Amino acid sequence: MTRRSRSRSKVGLATLIGATFLTGASLWGSGTIAADAQGAPVKGGTLVYLEQQAHTNLYPPAGGFYPNGGILNQITDKLTYQNPKTLEIEPWIAESWTVNADATEYTFKIRKGVTFSDGTPLDAAAVAKNYDTFGRGNKELKLPISEVINNYDRSEIIDPQTVKFYFKKPSPGFLQGTSVIGSGLVSLKTLALPYEALGDATKIIGSGPFVVASETLGRELTLKVRADYNWGPAKLEHQGRAYLDEIKYIVTPEDSVRIGALVAGQADVIRQIQAYDEKQVEDEGYLIYAPSTRGVNNSVVFRPDNPLVADVRVRRALLHATNTDEIVSTLFSDNYPKATSIIAKTASGYVDLSPKLSYDLEKAKALLDEAGWKLGTNGRRQKDGQTLELSAYESLPQPQNKETLQLVAQQWEKIGVKLNVLTADSGSAVVNNLDPAKAPVSPAMVGRADPDVIKSQYYPTNRNVLLQKGGNSDKVRSFVDEKLNALLDRLASEPDRAKRLAVAGEVQNYVVDQAYAIPIFEEPQAFAAAPYVKGVSFEAVGRPSFYNTWLAPRR
Amino acid sequence: MSRYVIGRIGQAALVLWAAFTVSFVLLQALPGDAILIKFLNPELGLGPEQIADIRASYAADSPLVVQYVHTVLNFLTGNFGYSIHAGVPVGDLILANLPQTLWLASLGFLLSLVVAVTLAALSALSPLSWLRSVIQSIPALFISTPVFWLGILLIQIFSFQLKLIPIINPGPWQALILPVLTLAVPISAPLAQILMRNIDHVLTEPFVAVARAKGASHRWVLWRHVARNAVLPTLTIAGILFGELLAGAVVTEAVFGLNGLGGLTQRSVNDQDIAVLQAIVVFSAAAFVLINLTVDLLYPVFDPRLRVRQGAAA
Repeated sequence: MTRRSRSRSKVGLATLIGATFLTGASLWGSGTIAADAQGAPVKGGTLVYLEQQAHTNLYPPAGGFYPNGGILNQITDKLTYQNPKTLEIEPWIAESWTVNADATEYTFKIRKGVTFSDGTPLDAAAVAKNYDTFGRGNKELKLPISEVINNYDRSEIIDPQTVKFYFKKPSPGFLQGTSVIGSGLVSLKTLALPYEALGDATKIIGSGPFVVASETLGRELTLKVRADYNWGPAKLEHQGRAYLDEIKYIVTPEDSVRIGALVAGQADVIRQIQAYDEKQVEDEGYLIYAPSTRGVNNSVVFRPDNPLVADVRVRRALLHATNTDEIVSTLFSDNYPKATSIIAKTASGYVDLSPKLSYDLEKAKALLDEAGWKLGTNGRRQKDGQTLELSAYESLPQPQNKETLQLVAQQWEKIGVKLNVLTADSGSAVVNNLDPAKAPVSPAMVGRADPDVIKSQYYPTNRNVLLQKGGNSDKVRSFVDEKLNALLDRLASEPDRAKRLAVAGEVQNYVVDQAYAIPIFEEPQAFAAAPYVKGVSFEAVGRPSFYNTWLAPRR
Repeated sequence: MSRYVIGRIGQAALVLWAAFTVSFVLLQALPGDAILIKFLNPELGLGPEQIADIRASYAADSPLVVQYVHTVLNFLTGNFGYSIHAGVPVGDLILANLPQTLWLASLGFLLSLVVAVTLAALSALSPLSWLRSVIQSIPALFISTPVFWLGILLIQIFSFQLKLIPIINPGPWQALILPVLTLAVPISAPLAQILMRNIDHVLTEPFVAVARAKGASHRWVLWRHVARNAVLPTLTIAGILFGELLAGAVVTEAVFGLNGLGGLTQRSVNDQDIAVLQAIVVFSAAAFVLINLTVDLLYPVFDPRLRVRQGAAA
């Protein structure tokens, strides 16, 4: 997490001056203050949280969607806790665990006395049922399989507080998988409901520090504290109930309204603030939180099934023609670090590949010449009567994605390559984006603090961003990269940690050498909060946790 | 008269069925569908087999005719299906969103009527010709004001600067003040325009000259003779403006973060949540038909000439 305070020193200074000249303080007063030498956390109060989009289905494995994760993270607990600083896995609902040598058997000892908010016990049987559902899905109830659980076979209840999981193949990512938002534990009543009934937040019964009290669909959600909560992650300093009494989620789609409401004191925390709005908020003395999503960087990927980008030299040329420094400095802020590999610096298994990602127009031009794409009379690269003209669909959830792609298009123009940036309704975009002929280039990113994330992104039967044959697209004619897939398989099943990280490094090198992806920046989740909101924390991939949060007296 | 009413109801049913069928065909013709959009969403990271399973469980790939008959029968029994995107029954979604939009639309319409009548009256009564032309150009200004911009401007001024009305967590009535104001501006414009035109037009009719010749004052002529005649075409427009209201609500609800049919429509279009869209289309068509039916039935009340003609026909 980078809690950015470009102007923190400035603000701090202003606070000092303001404190000396009491009248002057009122000018800054509402914004800055609540000095860091604060006393003990205050119990009570309601936190008003403005969300950009309404939550969708709250089946825990659907928690990847940020509005969903922001809610699930408060109402469900996980077997384990991933320390967001060290990325170590720590005890939570599981007191301890053992893993066999080839990572096919996991045994968890469940903490005693934990209950769901409907009063039923969170014991070995409940955990087993949760993982059987997440790991295998449930066709009758239409519950899909969780993305983070690979090779799941079955569970076994050893005793009321001990559960064992068996895997068909080594599943070294599973331990981390038990800590993610998609593995939130829910009551058996919730698991008995069909998928389509799980959009109603009041039906999601977890064991977390907050409970859904009421909901106005698509508009507002109120969480109340669970007074008897006493099973937070074991290594956290704060134990017992959460400090806040209540959290109010209010869906406020319009950017300027969210920011205005925060600054006008009508809201305490807001999610999603664009880089160009950060300064305005900071100048008012408010804080920007931009936790990293620690996953695959925001990138542009190629679909080599399209003959135009099938030649690695063409892809490399475009990689070297992309000026990521310019993109980051023009469109973003310090919270969006320039990418130096296909995954973030803070992701596990990261290797620095910046030398391979240099911006070099001459090299780019030479590569295209070598590949037979000559500059035509119209200034465009041509070969056998064909023009090197590519298209990409804007991805709405990614920050300023259209602007990013347009800037990339301008940069590629310098070597005579045309990139059309297209916008479409979600339906057409989804369909066309599966067709390498229509979308030879595509924006892509995903967050998760485990090397498995690389497999999620590139493997044909997962997200399949390169559109290999055998995946989710029936428009692909022949492109398959067996070498890449073999590497990804090893990454997902290598039980030895050191070896696994080495494979992660190999994959990163391979993807960049093949120029399948042009990494652009490390994507954060950007939040803004009022200065009196203390103890705002984030899980490993940037979803807020309000367990520790408290409201200092406003001045 | 009863045959007239029965005929109108038959027409209404026909219109509803047509709206349903056309929207069904159009929605099916769109590329992709809600299941695709929702489950291919990379946030879920599902494999192709899992997606195929989900498609099968929703019977998404069964023949169109089967789906059509199925949907029609469900609608007739009041079952609108599930929203794939929100994961709740469509009926619940509509019920949760309808009241707010009804309030917004009816108050917005009422306010725009007040504004329109006020403008028309001011223009008709104004003794100064330059003032008249200023007033008469107001509708043009109103209709060309972007609702989106106006909404944000009002929020900035009244909520963030003057801090009079909170935009987050407002009371039920506070929540409506700014949106109603925003919505009323563009809706009042055509109403005022037509009212003004008609007043000017009716003022030139011979019977007005007769009334004046009999010694009626300008004001008396306006209220007794002109207003009643000028209101008829305005009524027709008012029925049609309902569509505007719904369109205006889409933008207004988005800006103010209100829970309403407008916002729901926008989200459902984006996610191609066909079940929801289908229900919204039928609801809106029903409202349209109902309002225009009411307007038709109101004509004779305002215009005795129509009463006679209908009496003769029946």
